[in-house]
Amino acid sequence: MPQKSNAALLIVAHGSTVNPDSSAPSLAHAAEIRRRKVFADVECAFWKEEPSLRDAIFLFDPKTIREVNVVPNFISEGYFTQTVVPRELELNGRITNRPNGQIWKYCEPVGNHPLMTDLLLRRAHEIAPGIPESETSLLIVAHGTDLNENSAAAAKREAEKIRSLGKYAAVLNVYMEEPPLVSDWRKLAKTQNVVVVPFFISDGLHSYEDIPGLLGIANGRSVTGSRGARGEIFRHNPHMIDDRSLFYAPSIGTEPGVADIIIEQAEKSARV
Amino acid sequence: MQNSIERCLDAALTGPLYFGQILIQKIGAGGFVLSHRDDKTLDELKTSRNAEDAIEIAKYDDAGNYRPLKTAPNLRHGWRLELDTLEELRRALDYFYPGRLAVFAAWKSGKLQTTPLRETLNRQSGMYRIAAKISDTQIDNLVADFCRSNGGCLRTILWKRDGDGAIASTKLPKEKFDPSHDQAAACSRRPVGDARASHSEAATAPLLCQEACNLLVAECRTAVKGE
Repeated sequence: MPQKSNAALLIVAHGSTVNPDSSAPSLAHAAEIRRRKVFADVECAFWKEEPSLRDAIFLFDPKTIREVNVVPNFISEGYFTQTVVPRELELNGRITNRPNGQIWKYCEPVGNHPLMTDLLLRRAHEIAPGIPESETSLLIVAHGTDLNENSAAAAKREAEKIRSLGKYAAVLNVYMEEPPLVSDWRKLAKTQNVVVVPFFISDGLHSYEDIPGLLGIANGRSVTGSRGARGEIFRHNPHMIDDRSLFYAPSIGTEPGVADIIIEQAEKSARV
Repeated sequence: MQNSIERCLDAALTGPLYFGQILIQKIGAGGFVLSHRDDKTLDELKTSRNAEDAIEIAKYDDAGNYRPLKTAPNLRHGWRLELDTLEELRRALDYFYPGRLAVFAAWKSGKLQTTPLRETLNRQSGMYRIAAKISDTQIDNLVADFCRSNGGCLRTILWKRDGDGAIASTKLPKEKFDPSHDQAAACSRRPVGDARASHSEAATAPLLCQEACNLLVAECRTAVKGE
């Protein structure tokens, strides 16, 4: 994407009042995109952290920034992308003309982009290097039963796309709170090797504690609030269970390649 | 090229500057050094030189607890951040106090719009819709406790309770609504007569609050539910 001296990028994400790592991927992707100098300005705004979505209205100097591309760092369309973000940012559709002359373009969420499939494949390969994919089951874990969210459908779509490539012995979409349950992985996966990738935008309670608990690899210590111990669960691969090797990856949203997707989503809106 | 936010910051840096609990000082040829305003001896502080190091510094308090509200008066001590350019300074301050510089710049240029708390509450949906049922008395008490500079939040409140212009809380001192007042002075633990007493001369750039944050909205919901 050629640099536009009067265009900015705003990455919007959920954030958290209890999870220190919720905003970390968005901040890291913003820093990376800033380094590439694709946009004149790159900022983040959050529903549950600062700067708030309401603060974001003031983040861009109308004298120098004429166009703001808003990319939701969400895994799917849903309540936040369709209701909360447009309301808080005062957007009225894909394109909003502000009284100060700025044009704000509302882009598709990160999880909608076809490159997500490549990122899942890359993460699965990196977490289990040298393990033959033909002898491995890949499990993509989403929450399931999210009110108004489509992350379960998005995980199913990604699983189908990867399955169609015929690389892995099996590719399964599994959920924390609805069948097929991640806790049933021993029955669902028939192979010696199992790779599990959480389909979330950031690491937190689900990826640090809940899913490891459901997989049977948790060590019983609560780590979400403490400094340092978070991420420890990802440093002990493979987890040997019932003579099978289980490889557990960080959430897909922490993959550095998400920065490319954010730029692509903004580029798509620029063509509108 | 400087944008309006950097120009505003540059104009405020005529000398040492307090921004919340941070002391900003100019050094050398165009550089800056940042530290907690209560830290006395800069030589003993752990020095960083990357604006992005501010993310981790701002994330936890002295006890290692996560800081969900960055403008709470619990910025940790013991660090020193040296930065070469105004752009890096702006970036670091945005990590320490996200969005506050932009709001300050909008206020300085007369373009900051404030939103009454009732308007913020009335537009909520989902689990926060019920927050709009909070009474005026509950707001008066809640804001006095949650937003107080000494132990709550260091922002200067610019928003009103409702469209009629009622004050956010009658129980907060009038200085809480005054952008010229140094909100962090009330919780500064620096002893009288220390080596950096001259910095009491430092100017102050306020952390302005143009609209209730999501944390306060969540507290309103809790008050309504009686939890």
